[in-house]
Amino acid sequence: MLKPILLVEDNPHDLELTLIALEKSQLANEVIVVRDGAEALDYLLCRGEYAQRQKGNPAVVLLDLKLPKVDGLEVLREIRSGADLRALPVVMLTSSREEQDLVRSYELGVNAYVVKPVEFKEFVRAISDLGIFWAVLNEPPPGSQRYVRPIS
Amino acid sequence: MTQASPTIDLSSCDREAIRTPGSIQPHGCVLALSPDGIVVQASDNLARYVGVAPEAALGRTLADVIGAAAAAELAPEFAGAGERPSFAATVRLAESGAFDVLVHRYDALLMLEFEAVQRTGVADFRHLYPLVGNFLQQVHDTDTVETMSARAADEIRAVTGFNRVLVYKFDAEGHGHVLAESNDGNLPSYLGQRFPASDIPRQARELYASNRIRLIRDANYTPSRLVPAENPLTGAPNDLSFAALRSVSPVHLQYMRNMGTLASMSVSLMVKGKLWGLISCHNAKPCHVTFDKRTACEQLGQILALRIESREVANELQFRLEVRRIMVSVLGGLTQGANFIENMGSVFPELLHFARAGGAAIIVDDRIVSYGDTPGEAQLRELIGWLQVNTHDDVYYTDRLSCEFPPAGAYRQSASGLLAMPISRIHKHYLLWFRPEFVYTIDWAGNPHQKEAPPGAPTQLSPRTSFASWRETVHGTSAQWHPGEIEMALEFRTALLGIALERAEQMAELAEELGRANKELEAFSYSVSHDLRAPLRHIVGFSDLLLETAGGGSPEKQQRFLTNIKESARLAGKLVDDLLSFSQMGRASLRPVQVDMNELVRSCIDKLSLDVGTRRVEWHVGDLPAVVADPTFIQLALYNLLSNALKFTGQKDPAVIRVEGRREAAVTVFTVADNGIGFNMDYVHKLFGVFQRLHRMEDFQGTGIGLANVRRIVERHGGAVTAHSAPGQGATFTFSIPHSS
Repeated sequence: MLKPILLVEDNPHDLELTLIALEKSQLANEVIVVRDGAEALDYLLCRGEYAQRQKGNPAVVLLDLKLPKVDGLEVLREIRSGADLRALPVVMLTSSREEQDLVRSYELGVNAYVVKPVEFKEFVRAISDLGIFWAVLNEPPPGSQRYVRPIS
Repeated sequence: MTQASPTIDLSSCDREAIRTPGSIQPHGCVLALSPDGIVVQASDNLARYVGVAPEAALGRTLADVIGAAAAAELAPEFAGAGERPSFAATVRLAESGAFDVLVHRYDALLMLEFEAVQRTGVADFRHLYPLVGNFLQQVHDTDTVETMSARAADEIRAVTGFNRVLVYKFDAEGHGHVLAESNDGNLPSYLGQRFPASDIPRQARELYASNRIRLIRDANYTPSRLVPAENPLTGAPNDLSFAALRSVSPVHLQYMRNMGTLASMSVSLMVKGKLWGLISCHNAKPCHVTFDKRTACEQLGQILALRIESREVANELQFRLEVRRIMVSVLGGLTQGANFIENMGSVFPELLHFARAGGAAIIVDDRIVSYGDTPGEAQLRELIGWLQVNTHDDVYYTDRLSCEFPPAGAYRQSASGLLAMPISRIHKHYLLWFRPEFVYTIDWAGNPHQKEAPPGAPTQLSPRTSFASWRETVHGTSAQWHPGEIEMALEFRTALLGIALERAEQMAELAEELGRANKELEAFSYSVSHDLRAPLRHIVGFSDLLLETAGGGSPEKQQRFLTNIKESARLAGKLVDDLLSFSQMGRASLRPVQVDMNELVRSCIDKLSLDVGTRRVEWHVGDLPAVVADPTFIQLALYNLLSNALKFTGQKDPAVIRVEGRREAAVTVFTVADNGIGFNMDYVHKLFGVFQRLHRMEDFQGTGIGLANVRRIVERHGGAVTAHSAPGQGATFTFSIPHSS
């Protein structure tokens, strides 16, 4: 089984566009959608409504910067502060071209920072490239539990 | 319209009944149906297009007049007809080929407009989406208004095929300034020129604001009158404000002929709810633009206006931020030593920079210290004497001093602009800034001062005949004072009064307040770049998807994409509005009076009753003590809290909302408590921040500015606001207002 992609996005329109883009890139990975930072942490830390989920980290977290309750930077800080999640690939996906957001994201150890392109074709390409790189090409960090593709 | 007087009074243009001309342009015909579907009015060219004389059509059904097949094609579109024309269908009439039919309802009449078209099939609206997408792609956040306008002009010329497309902006006096032009070389260029305000009379501007697009196909047309002349249902002339074929003023047609343009189209640019400018298209020969293309142009105009709005808001915020930054540094410099005048001398360079001035002077009783380019000392004393007698506000400013105070003509080169501020309530203390004369040239499209017809001309009202460029040089004025500079000068004055009185504590508070205001401004410019980008991206994305699925795809999906586009456009607009209201909140001055809080709460609840609808809501309002506060602001704060309570009790039946108040030693405390979903106390620190929402957008609508407003209002009154929530017990908001603020 392929490792899933965790998508953290609160805006329903962005969510719809991102899912359409992922669908277009024909990745086989499951996409798990959570709608705010608190829910993302619940998922990653297997707590709350995700207490019973199958253990293991996603291939990559696509994290929106601006979220209700706990924002993207706080989620990132939390991920980097815990031993189990420290090496998890996180891609910041945002509308913001503000340098302060970029700088703070890198300070907190983000793996990539992508400004959502305004033009839809570029948006699709960006999402598709991200999915293919992080979910297919990238070797996940050592020590994390690996999913194995079943022989079919 | 013939006048007895030999001098021509162009103000009579202001009285022309342009909404009720009683006739239409003859490139189509009109049928008006009564509510029971009977033809009650028709244009007198009906026979030419439909083969039935207008008198013969009256009293008959639509099917009788245009044939059963065409009538059946149109009938389903009537139910949805509103005040603005919508496209119903393209029908073939036996006599003369194909017509785009537009339908709208006005004064109980259903107006059908038949526009003759060359093509045979229905109008193709699909090219609207790539146009809009393409345009959005071409304009960037960093583009100037001129660049965006130029791109829009190119796009519109490509769509319509007009010879020349101008984008112009109205200035504060109503003169139009051509910012951008797209021109195929057949008509003269007007780029950079100005059109005097009198070219467009007042009521035409009003009509531009309500009907966003207007086409004149051929300026040499002979109007087709309506038969009968009056709307038979009201007995008054038909209001054709929204009719696409509306006939225009003969003066305007003459104006077009004088200008050498036989066809024109204009698209209104509305920014912040006002007519900001026009996209104006001209063609040397008659030219028709079909409804679908007009719709595309209108849409493009709306998007251009939206981009201009966000660009202008961003520029404005950037400017204020910069002025404030300089002011904070000046204040910092002033607090360094004890002697105010000496300190002032050390910050002169920043003071000039702050007001973009060429010179500055401080007057403390009889002592005058000046810096940079200023009038001489005797002239300054004379000016101060005049100011003392003639100005009484906290700040006085002008960009043409010699008009207000003629002796200043002697030094207009260094001081055509003056910003003057008394800095003591008792003594003759002034701070003055001077701006040099700014001699500039206006390129008018024709001499605006020679609008009257030459002697001996016919006495009929007539527009001007020459559009040849005419240059005028303007003397005696300086660059205009920006509202942000005036406001900042007022804040600066408050700060100076504080320093002059050596009230150190006050300074500390002021610095804190300034720090907070600066942070808020930063949050603004951040939000303009971040929050406004998202809806624009959604408009482009869903437009592209719509295009992709234009051939196939399910209608439900296309419908949803369209809804998403609409919602995103609305959200972008609301964001801009809320941002502006929030920024105004920080600047308007408070006018505290005794306020009856019981009455205020009652009126808020009344206002909210629409939102309540059929929900059960129990309001428990205690006996509330009165406070001294600004009633408008306090009402807004209360309204935000109550509407918040109402919003977050949406799932409760009944919703219970309690409002209580009590007087304490130094403050009066009010609470608004509800039994709604509450919030997690972990995030309480974010609750009052600008653009922070603790709930998902689709669950609870809002831009995240309401509670930020509440805090701002309460804090400006010197009070504090807190919030508390416990799981399952709703939320409680508490705010205090000091007895004397």
